[in-house]
Amino acid sequence: MPISTQELEGGITRVILEGRLDIEGAAAVDMPMNVIAGTKKAVLVDMEKVSFLGSMGLRALVAPARAIKGRGGKIVIFGPNELVEKVLKMSGVDTMIPIHHELQNAIAALQ
Amino acid sequence: MTGNADHTTAERLDLQSRISDLARIPPWIERLASTYSIPDSTQFAMNLCLEEALSNVIRHGYRGTPGSIAILFSTRNGQFVFVVEDEAPLFNPVNSPELPAMNSLEEAQIGGQGIRLLRQFSDALEYHATPRGNRLTIGFASARSVTANI
Repeated sequence: MPISTQELEGGITRVILEGRLDIEGAAAVDMPMNVIAGTKKAVLVDMEKVSFLGSMGLRALVAPARAIKGRGGKIVIFGPNELVEKVLKMSGVDTMIPIHHELQNAIAALQ
Repeated sequence: MTGNADHTTAERLDLQSRISDLARIPPWIERLASTYSIPDSTQFAMNLCLEEALSNVIRHGYRGTPGSIAILFSTRNGQFVFVVEDEAPLFNPVNSPELPAMNSLEEAQIGGQGIRLLRQFSDALEYHATPRGNRLTIGFASARSVTANI
């Protein structure tokens, strides 16, 4: 699963995920997400191009979120499609990591 | 290993108890979707439920030992039906206690969310112990709403 990062103004790191966040996809992003979680304090996870999310994919989001918040940082999710958002909501992840569909709102939540 | 006698099996996928074999499921579902006109939202639910069900069988049933898993697909009474058969020690996900939705990062119980998602995204779920292992039947209505269960 492709993962890339983009530094935005205000010290915000945009993490762009693309494709299937299934067991294989989660394994592919675990290491880079952990590195990001250990070094960044304002993280916007861009899920616009994520087509699938399973429980192992949830783990790949929640574990870094825990690390970021544990260091006093913030993390938000941006732009999941309807089905991916359903998984996030049914598992309760949306109560821990806010979901935004407007980029400006996602950025504002990190400032 | 044989399928449920109540179903006329139209398609079958045989896997080994390896996590890497799960990668064969999405292209199979894509092919089924093309043949049986399965909507995108139902394909998503099928992929999710099969990944959760089979990863449970591989990780908690076979526990790293070699074994086989058969997925049988059929249509019946307006439902798309998958029957997952294995020869692992008995495990009934239908009766397993359901973890609550996560509500804090500190208390997150990520590992137990798979069964919760399996229940939420399927329209019918039945378990039977067989003489050789487990049979899990997962049904999906042919017409479904993405927001119905939120």
